[in-house]
Amino acid sequence: MPAMQPGRGGFVLFAYHLCKWWAIGGGVILFGIVAVNVVSVVGLAIWRSPIPGVYEIVQIGAAVAMFMMLPYCQITGSNVSADIFTASLRPRTITILAGIGALLGAVFGLFLIWRMGHGLKDVYVYRETTAIYQFPVWIAYVPTLLSLALFVLAAIANMVQTAQGVLPEQVDHDATA
Amino acid sequence: MGQEFLTGLVGLIIMVLLIAVRIPIAFAMALVGMAGIYLISGPMILLSQMKSLAFGTFTNYDLSVAPLFILMGHLATRANLSFGLFRAANAWLGHFRGGVAMAAITACAGFGAICGSSLATASTMGKVALPELRRYNYSPALATGTLAAGGTLGILIPPSIVLVVYSVIVEVNIVEMFSAAMVPSMVAVLFFILAIALYTRIAPDAGPKGGRVDHQELLAATLGAIPVILVFGIVLGGMYLGLYTATPAASIGVFLVLAYGVARRVLSLRDIVAAILSTAKNAGMIYLIVLGAELLKIFMSRGGVPQAAANAMLESGLQPYLLLLVVLAALIVMGMFMDSLSIILLTLPFFWPVISGLDFGLTPNETKLWFGVLALIVVELGLITPPVGMNVFIINALARDVPMIETFKGALPFFLFEIVRVILLVAFPAIVLAFPAWIS
Amino acid sequence: QEFELKLHHFLGPNAPAQTQMLEPWAQRIEVASDGRIDIEIYPSMSLGGTPPELIRQVRDGVVEMVWTLNGYSPGLFPRTEVFELPNVHRNDPGATNLALAELFDTHLAEEHVGVKVLFQHVHAGQAIHTTDSEVRTPSDLAGKSLRIPTRTGAWVAEALGANPVSMPVPDFPQALSRGVVDGGLVPYEIIPALQLQDLTDYQTELADGGRLGTSVFQVSMNLDRWNSLPADIQQIFLDNSGEDWLREVGQIWADTDVQGLEVATEAGNTLVTLTAEESAAFEEAVEPVVTRWIEEANGLGIDGQGIVDAARASIATYSE
Ligand code: NA
Ligand code: NA
Repeated sequence: MPAMQPGRGGFVLFAYHLCKWWAIGGGVILFGIVAVNVVSVVGLAIWRSPIPGVYEIVQIGAAVAMFMMLPYCQITGSNVSADIFTASLRPRTITILAGIGALLGAVFGLFLIWRMGHGLKDVYVYRETTAIYQFPVWIAYVPTLLSLALFVLAAIANMVQTAQGVLPEQVDHDATA
Repeated sequence: MGQEFLTGLVGLIIMVLLIAVRIPIAFAMALVGMAGIYLISGPMILLSQMKSLAFGTFTNYDLSVAPLFILMGHLATRANLSFGLFRAANAWLGHFRGGVAMAAITACAGFGAICGSSLATASTMGKVALPELRRYNYSPALATGTLAAGGTLGILIPPSIVLVVYSVIVEVNIVEMFSAAMVPSMVAVLFFILAIALYTRIAPDAGPKGGRVDHQELLAATLGAIPVILVFGIVLGGMYLGLYTATPAASIGVFLVLAYGVARRVLSLRDIVAAILSTAKNAGMIYLIVLGAELLKIFMSRGGVPQAAANAMLESGLQPYLLLLVVLAALIVMGMFMDSLSIILLTLPFFWPVISGLDFGLTPNETKLWFGVLALIVVELGLITPPVGMNVFIINALARDVPMIETFKGALPFFLFEIVRVILLVAFPAIVLAFPAWIS
Repeated sequence: QEFELKLHHFLGPNAPAQTQMLEPWAQRIEVASDGRIDIEIYPSMSLGGTPPELIRQVRDGVVEMVWTLNGYSPGLFPRTEVFELPNVHRNDPGATNLALAELFDTHLAEEHVGVKVLFQHVHAGQAIHTTDSEVRTPSDLAGKSLRIPTRTGAWVAEALGANPVSMPVPDFPQALSRGVVDGGLVPYEIIPALQLQDLTDYQTELADGGRLGTSVFQVSMNLDRWNSLPADIQQIFLDNSGEDWLREVGQIWADTDVQGLEVATEAGNTLVTLTAEESAAFEEAVEPVVTRWIEEANGLGIDGQGIVDAARASIATYSE
C-alpha cells in the first residue's frame, strides 16, 4: 500500500464521509418531496383531492435538503470559482489561494451559525409556523444549523488539504487505495 | 446618495478582484455584499438581516425546481437513457454525409429535453457518441466540436437550470419561461444540423457517411428511444398543457426516471446514491451563489447602484437596440471566463433595470421572456469559446489524442450559427413569444 | 430631511396597494411634516429577503417600516386572525379596518412585539370564483377543488365540502385553465391581474355583497425607531393613520374590488349574489370554522369566544 495519499488524512476522510452521509440524508428528503408532489398530482387528477399543504412541504423540505447538501458541496471543492486568471501561477500558489477560499467559507459558515442561532431563537419565541399544518419553523432550523456546522468542518478539512498542497476538487475519497 | 453609490462601485471592483484570485464566486459575492451592507447601513442591520436571510432564500418555492431537475438529469445519466437516444438518432440519420454527427446533435437535443445542465449533457453524450464518431473516421475537430456544441443544448432546451434562476430573479412564471425557450431551441437544433451539413459539404472527408441499418434495427432503435420521449412528453408536455406547475413536473420527472431505471434494472442503489451526491455538488453550488447574489443585491439596492446604472444607460441617449447589443456583448465576454449561472446572478441586478426600462414594443412580461432567452444563449456561448470553454474541456478530456485547439476549431461553425440565431431572435421576438402566447 | 424612513413591501411598484394607498399616505405625511420626514418606498422585496421575513425585518430594524400581509407569518398573529374569519368580516372593509383599530389596545396589542402598528386593514373579502358551475348552495361546491388563501380559508373550503388546494396566487390562473382546480377564494380586486375574467364563469358573493372572510395587512414601524421620533413627528403619523384614513383605505380597496368585478362582468361572467335565504345556508355551513378557530385560540390561552364576540360587535357598530 502506498503512503497516505495527500489530502486524504484521517481527519479529512472522516469529515468527508460525515458530509457524504449527511448529503445523502438531504437526497432522501428530496425524494420525499418527489413522493409528496406525485401523490398530490395524482390525487388531484383522479380524486380531485390534493394534499392541501404541498407548497409549504416543498418550501421547508427543499430548504432543509439543500442546507444538508452544502457540506458535501464544500468538501468536494464544488463551489464554482473562476480559475482562468490564476491558471498560469505555480501549483503551490494556487493551493494557497484555494486555502484562502476555504478559510473565507469557514468564516462565512461560522457567521451564519452565529446569526441563524439568533434566528432560531426568534422563530421559537415568536412561535412561527407554516400556514396549513402549523409546523413550527424552529424545528427546520435545527438540521439547518447542524448542516452549517458540518459546512465549517468541511471548509476546515479543505484548509488541511490545501496546506498539504492538494486541491479539494482533485481528491477522490471514494477511490480504493 | 453619492457616498453610498461610490461604496457600491468600490465593492464591485473588490468583488471582481476576489473572483480573479480564485475565491469561490458565492463567497466573493456574499462577503462583499455583507461588507457593503455594513458600511452603508451599519452593523445592526447586517446582523439582524442575517438571522433569517439564508433560511428565507433557501425556502424560495420556485428555486426548488432546480435541485429536482438536476436530480432527474443525474438519474437519467445513470440510467443510460443517452444510449438509446443516440442509437435511435443514428439509425435514422447515420447514413447521410455528416449523419453520425447530426445524430449526436439530435441525441443531445433529446437528452437536453430531460436534463437541465449543459455539462451533464456534454459528458454523457460524449461518452456515448464519441466512440461512434471516431469509428466512422470523423475528423477530430468535427467529432469533438459537435459534441461540445451539442452539449449546450442541455441548457438551451428546457428544462434549463439557468432559466429557473433567471425566472426567480426577474419574477416571471417558470413554465412560461420554459415555453418561450422552446421554439428558439428547436431553431438551434436545426442550425446545428445545418452547420454540420455545410461543414461536410466544404470538407467531405471530415464527416463520412455511416452505415445504413436494416429495418429491424431501425424499429428496435426507434423503440429504444421511447422511454425518453415519454418522460419528456409527460414532464414538459404536462407542464405546457398546464396540468401541473414546474415543481410537480420536475418531481414527476424524477419519479418516472427512477421508476424506469429500477424496473429495467439499470439503476442500482449505488447509482441512486451517486446521483444524489452529484445533485448535492451542483445544486449546493447554485443555492450558495443565489444566497451570495441576494446579499450583493441588498448592498447594491441600499447603495442605489442598479437604479443609477439604469438611469445612466437610459440617459446616454443610445438606441434601445444598441443598448441591448452592449448588454449582450458584455454577457458574451463574461461567458468566456465564467460559468453561466454566476454571470446571470451577478449581472442581472444591473442589466435587468436597464433592459426593462427600454421600449422594444413589447409588454413587460414579453420583455422578460425575450431577454431571458437571449441572455441564456449568449452566456452559454462561453461554453464553446476559449479560453474557458467547459464543454470543450469535457469533450476533449474524453479524446485525449485531440489537441484542444482542434476542438475549439470544430466548435467554431456552431458558434457562428448561434450568433446568427441571436440576430434572428433580436429581429423577430415572435419566435420567442408565439409559443407561450399560443399555449396560454 | 431629518427623518429618512425606508418602507419595504412585497408587491411591484405599479400595484394599486403602492400607487393608491402607500404613496398617498407617505406623501401626506411628508407634506404635513414640511419635508422633515422622507419616506422612501422599496417595492418588490428590493431590500432583500422573502415576504414572510418582512415582519422580522421591521421588528429587528433592518428596515424602518413595512407593509405586509399577516398571513405570511402564520402563528404570529393568532388574535388578529379573528378578522379573517367568515361570519366575522362581512362586506365592508372600512368597518373591519375600524374594528381592527378599536380592538387593538384591548385585544390585539400584545401580539405585536417590537413594532409600532401604524394601521391595519383588510381587502374587500374572499368571493367564490368558479369555472363552469353556478354556486347557489354549499352542496354545489361538494367535491370541488378550491384554491384557498389562508389556513382559515382551507377550513372554509372543508366546511363547504370542497377540497382545499394551497398554491401561490400567481399559479392560480394556470390551475384554473387546465381544470386542476374548479375555482378559488380570492377578492375581485385581483381579477384583472390574473385574467380571471377569461378563466372563470361565475363570481359568487353572499347577500349584500357578503364575503367568506378576508386577509389582514399591516403598516408598521420598528418600535425603537418610533420611540426615537419626537412627539410632533409621531403625531403626524398618528393623524394620518386615524379613523378617516382607515375609512379611506376601506374605500380604496372596495373601489379596486368593484373595478375588478366590472372587468369580469364586462367579459360576460355571471355575478351571483345569493338571496338572504341562500346566504343563510352558507353562513350556517361555515359557522363551524368560527367554532374551530375559537377552540384553537383557547388552546393557545386566548379567550377565543371573547374576541369573536368583540370583533363582531365592533364591526356591526361601524357598518351602516
Ligand atoms: Na435541458
Ligand atoms: Na469560454
